[in-house]
Amino acid sequence: MNHKLLHIFRNTPFGRETFLQSLYFCKTIQAYPVVYIPKNDKCLLYFSNDAVQVDLDHSYLNSPETAKAHAQALFEEAGIPPVFYEPKNFTASTLPDVSTNFDYLCCPRSVSDRSSKIGLGHIGPKVRRIIKHATFPVLISSPVFKSWTGISVFFGGSENAVKALTLGLKIAMASGLPLNLYTLVEKNGEDYYREVVQKRDMEPLVDKYVTNWHFYGNEAFDTMLYEVPHDSLIVLGAYGHGIIKELLLGSKMEIIQSTVTNNLLIVGPNCTISLQ
Amino acid sequence: MQTLKKIYRAIYYRFFRLDDRLLLIVAGSLAGICSGLAAVALRLSLESVIEWLHPFRHYWWAFVLPAAGALLSSLYLEKISKEGAGHGVPEVIYAVSRYGGLIRLRSSYSRLISSFLTISSGGSAGPEAPVVMSGSAIGSNIAKLLVLNDRQRITLVGCGTAGAIASIFNAPIAGLVFSIEVLLGEWKFVNIIPIAIAAVAGAQISQAIIPEQVLFNHQPFNTMAADILPCLCLAVLTAFTSVFFTKSLRKIGGFAKKSRLPLWGRAIIGGCLVGAIGIHMPLVLGEGYHFIQTMISGSFSMGLFLTFVAIFAKIFATAMTLGWGGSGGIFAPCLLIGSLTGVAFHKTLFFLLPSAGIAREGAYALLGMTGLISGVMQAPLTGIFLIVEITGGYETILPLILVSSISATMSHYIEPASFYLKDLIEKGQFMRPGTDARILSDLSLNEIIDTHYTKVSENMVFRDFIEIIKLSHHNFFPVIEDKTGAYQGIIHIRTIRKYVLEPGMYDMVFLNQIMDTEVVTASLEDDLGDVLDMMDLNNMDSIPVVENDRFVGMIQKSRILDLYRRELIMQTHIQ
Repeated sequence: MNHKLLHIFRNTPFGRETFLQSLYFCKTIQAYPVVYIPKNDKCLLYFSNDAVQVDLDHSYLNSPETAKAHAQALFEEAGIPPVFYEPKNFTASTLPDVSTNFDYLCCPRSVSDRSSKIGLGHIGPKVRRIIKHATFPVLISSPVFKSWTGISVFFGGSENAVKALTLGLKIAMASGLPLNLYTLVEKNGEDYYREVVQKRDMEPLVDKYVTNWHFYGNEAFDTMLYEVPHDSLIVLGAYGHGIIKELLLGSKMEIIQSTVTNNLLIVGPNCTISLQ
Repeated sequence: MQTLKKIYRAIYYRFFRLDDRLLLIVAGSLAGICSGLAAVALRLSLESVIEWLHPFRHYWWAFVLPAAGALLSSLYLEKISKEGAGHGVPEVIYAVSRYGGLIRLRSSYSRLISSFLTISSGGSAGPEAPVVMSGSAIGSNIAKLLVLNDRQRITLVGCGTAGAIASIFNAPIAGLVFSIEVLLGEWKFVNIIPIAIAAVAGAQISQAIIPEQVLFNHQPFNTMAADILPCLCLAVLTAFTSVFFTKSLRKIGGFAKKSRLPLWGRAIIGGCLVGAIGIHMPLVLGEGYHFIQTMISGSFSMGLFLTFVAIFAKIFATAMTLGWGGSGGIFAPCLLIGSLTGVAFHKTLFFLLPSAGIAREGAYALLGMTGLISGVMQAPLTGIFLIVEITGGYETILPLILVSSISATMSHYIEPASFYLKDLIEKGQFMRPGTDARILSDLSLNEIIDTHYTKVSENMVFRDFIEIIKLSHHNFFPVIEDKTGAYQGIIHIRTIRKYVLEPGMYDMVFLNQIMDTEVVTASLEDDLGDVLDMMDLNNMDSIPVVENDRFVGMIQKSRILDLYRRELIMQTHIQ
């Protein structure tokens, strides 16, 4: 794969953990990371129908004189040639436009250094907005570096879940790691989910790459989350429902990310995933 | 829920989106109304705070008031809304020319608040550019809500701008003209109608909320044939003043950027200096509309020398306010500096030729204003219509046209880029629709790259390669390393003819011996314009794209031409 992951580098111990995670992700799926060392505490991501301003906290601007050397050292340790990103365009002199022409973006759970937000249970509003508008999957890394030995896809049968499954298959193909499917059977029976896969002509690929397809009853959501291997990369769709449903019931993704410690690869509603 | 969704979609697509023009007119009116409301809110709040602060202006410590305002404004922008200082118009033009008018929602209120803090405390700036920013952000976000395309979004940005200008000046034609002449840069039927309606909506909102609003009272002026020559001279003078004003703003702002002071520190210094000047010369404070009125009505009491001093003082105060951390626009300062220039010119003429039968001082104040607006913005129509509408001076329209045209031409001759566009042009970020740079920037490299090339191994013998050529219709073959897949070079059919004609060498030649490793390559990060320059420089029709040592594909000039033509038709097509 010749895919690129954009990583906004934070020159702190927490930032190192996140970057190690990006490096591991890239090595595993044969992509390569592109590091952006911010010089301003904010940047703009222009998507097709929205401009998202990412306000970084001051920890992202820590010790700028050592940031590049630290990133380079981690690149070398991982055996990946260093690639750095420099914004070419600026909306204002202190507001660089960061390209959205990437295949993945690594995001900490919150774009903040406050310890209350670094821990589990909080996904920052900026991260939420990025996921909602991004045309690429967003890697939400675990709080500390954690390698993974398998892929777990949460498949609920929706349009977004199909994209997540496609992405899971793509990563399984690139990494050679086992892929497991987890489905919470809601109104329809197990056959409904198999039919969804069949209708999309994905059955041969699922048969080939999926090791196990686990089905759980509607009430067994917590059990399902507990049974997902702690050392697997979770791939799931997010914000696939309408705004009203999400306001009333909340987003499943938000519950999952606040419960598990795994690395998450989130497919937002505007993501386009192909197997090529 | 599904049924509700279906009903909503049916209503939305069958009625509201039945006709795109109708949609733009309705959405444009909404943008005009919202931006008009924003402009009125700023005007009313400015008036009330300026009135409240008026009694305190006579105290010795009043010089700290602009500093306090600029400090709060800079802190608000930097810490709370996280935006840069300045007036924001270049940001809007940038968004229109580069990102189809995408503007953040926060811009719809942030500049209003920051400019309110700056101007109400006495900072030398105007509220017009912030309302432009606000209006355009409102238009952009309405377009986002309705999921409109780039072209429609740009039109709504224009609608928001027109509504804001129309509302703040109670001048709908000026709103329409400014929006099209300065912001969008394209006079198209599809834009004009919704923008005109938005301008009317903005002006109507303003009249409905502030019915007695008249920015400047109308004064009847009689301009005669004897005024033509002085008008020409005034046009030249305003052109030079415009260039001096623009250069001062940039120069003084540049000093501030070079200093190591934090933004709030700069804002305090700039504000204190403006306040100190304001104690001795109150006309530099705030927007200065009251002084413009006295000049138009002919009751301006300053002598010739002091009027000249006032011009420089206002220019310096505006540069210190906007360049050193304050927030606001240059419209109002332009009007004041222009009217001062006109009055100073009239006084000089009267001093040299007391019996010259020329129009009154007030008429020259109007001419000076239009000359400066046209010179600074290099937008002659905006200058003419704005002054005519806000002063009701229709009888001076002919000299206004003369001064405006000559001032805009002269200043363009001296300084080819207007104040709003200078930075964008210098950074190569100014791209009007239908221009070469804009079309190239709108073409995506992913669309252009042909990835269907057969990669060949560097250790492949020529005989095997011949078999691959037989099955391929391409002329180029990227050579890659076996182990890593890294790009090594390229083979062009033209360069291997001599080997093809000697079958005896088929098993003796390896591809790494005949590949061309010197071929210039492009990267996915390169701009298309740069890639084309690279191809021209090296006389290439095709260029390989290599990213992270991997061959991605080829870019061909013929493919670029096809897509360029398609994009040009799309951008210049009159709907």
